[in-house]
Amino acid sequence: MKAYFSVFRMRWRMELQYRGAVIGGVLCQMFFGLILIALYRALYATKPQAMPIESVATYVWLQQAFFRMLLASDADLLDKIRTGSIAYDLCRPLQLYGYYYVRVMAQKLLGSLLRATPMLVFAMLLPAGWGIQGPVSGPAFLLAVMGLLLGLLCVCALENITMGFTMRTLDSRGVQAMLNLMMMTLAGNILPLTLFPDSWQNAVTLLPYAQLLDAPIRLYTGQQPLSAAPHILAVQFVWTLLLTGLGLLLWRQNQKRLVIQGG
Amino acid sequence: MSYIAVDGLDKRFTVRKKREKGILREKTVIHALQDVSFAVERGELVGYIGPNGAGKSTTVKILSGILTPDGGSVTVGGRVPWKERREHVRHIGVVFGQRSQLWWDVPILDSYSLLKDIYRIPENEYQRRLAQLTEALQLGDFLRTPLRLLSLGQRMRAELCGSLLHGPELLFLDEPTIGLDAVSKLALRDFLKEENRRNGTTILLTTHDMEDIAALCPRVMVLGHGKKLYDGALPELLSRYDTQRILTVRYEAEAGLPELPEGCAVTQEAGNYKITYAPEKMPTAQLISLLQSAGSIRELTAQPQNIDHLIAAMYREMDL
Repeated sequence: MKAYFSVFRMRWRMELQYRGAVIGGVLCQMFFGLILIALYRALYATKPQAMPIESVATYVWLQQAFFRMLLASDADLLDKIRTGSIAYDLCRPLQLYGYYYVRVMAQKLLGSLLRATPMLVFAMLLPAGWGIQGPVSGPAFLLAVMGLLLGLLCVCALENITMGFTMRTLDSRGVQAMLNLMMMTLAGNILPLTLFPDSWQNAVTLLPYAQLLDAPIRLYTGQQPLSAAPHILAVQFVWTLLLTGLGLLLWRQNQKRLVIQGG
Repeated sequence: MSYIAVDGLDKRFTVRKKREKGILREKTVIHALQDVSFAVERGELVGYIGPNGAGKSTTVKILSGILTPDGGSVTVGGRVPWKERREHVRHIGVVFGQRSQLWWDVPILDSYSLLKDIYRIPENEYQRRLAQLTEALQLGDFLRTPLRLLSLGQRMRAELCGSLLHGPELLFLDEPTIGLDAVSKLALRDFLKEENRRNGTTILLTTHDMEDIAALCPRVMVLGHGKKLYDGALPELLSRYDTQRILTVRYEAEAGLPELPEGCAVTQEAGNYKITYAPEKMPTAQLISLLQSAGSIRELTAQPQNIDHLIAAMYREMDL
């Protein structure tokens, strides 16, 4: 168990090695946040939507702040698979899926916390309608944090499946591009899911991608009342379980037919 | 029962090749290992040699629990590596000379402390071992440097330390001296010998550097085309192919070589004559007196044939 925590510590050191990348990422995400909000404000100026603009701005900021959680992926791990250095990880007395899962999680969690903190502070300083609003209530905030953690587990499971496929194809680009596209669109990063047509929302919010950020953000902004929380968390939980199970199965299969080529 | 017992090991790989014409591919099955059997006792130092593609690395990967063989049985210390992988790997250390186990972006010391947690090494044991390895491998100067900033030699030493921290009873070294300079190579060999002597670590070494084998391994196994071709002492193996000697001669004044009997090959460079001959057919004393008859000799050196040439001759004869 200690080994898995150790991975977090390592990842933290690694994140701190590249401070320039963090600053660059933060600036880039801030820029995107402002552009998107300006866009929605222009849209609202001519045709207001059901969701108030303040909520849209909050949605956009939270999406941008935790962008790192969505975007695949740990290039190191994919490189290991491609070059065969994964051989070393197979020589460790660890459960391989768990080990990689934790590595992905550490990267996503620490990477996004490091970036989210300054961004959210910045967004709080902006005037209403541009910046981020506080949570609708205390309990809503706690539930949103829980939702975010479940979303994290879910996205790690998704990514481990991608990695499982990479072991078969040795090239991550295809599966990865698909996953990124689905995530960006269906997690609400490009267009808030709350702005999708209602009939679409019913379907889209059930997909695993919506569990990552959209579900916790809705709890945070009060788009979903507290009474809907058990349902939302249950859907997240089921997806997490399902995707983890699928990934485990895939990895177990892979380990049986694994070939490390050359040298 | 032997510490490592391998019996009738078999491994096949399927390789897809493009056909000469058209776009279809054909599958060929490559028999990487065929009916390989051997036994290694605790504390042995064994060299594992063979040309590229002979199946050396495949054997190491099976023994370290990474690959599942298609047939045969293997036990290491009573465990089947690929079935009890997690328990098995706790007791072994592996160095793949061409790959890296340490984290690229962080100081190597941090990678070690992760390994400490992975192998659950007690803190005081870890400190003792780290101090020992740091000294033996001369890592002191760059323990806090990220791996990406190290030179190849430093990196290899760092990798070796990483593989030995948990005090493995069995160590697999897959081309550990690849790309190292002479000083590092010698230091590494001394270190491995010492590790074997002091801790009784069983070492299985695969390499193309015959000097490594000659310096380290009393026993050597030769693998070719997936089959075991030889298992025994290196000098014995070499003596079969070690039929030629080289004599280099330089005369006081420019003098032509006398007529040499058949079977002697001569090359000339910068006033030196290099004569390759078979002592069995042409005794050395006889050759020297023949050379003396042509003029007064300033310098005369006799050399055995280079070990790489012997191995090449052996591979040729074994049709590898």
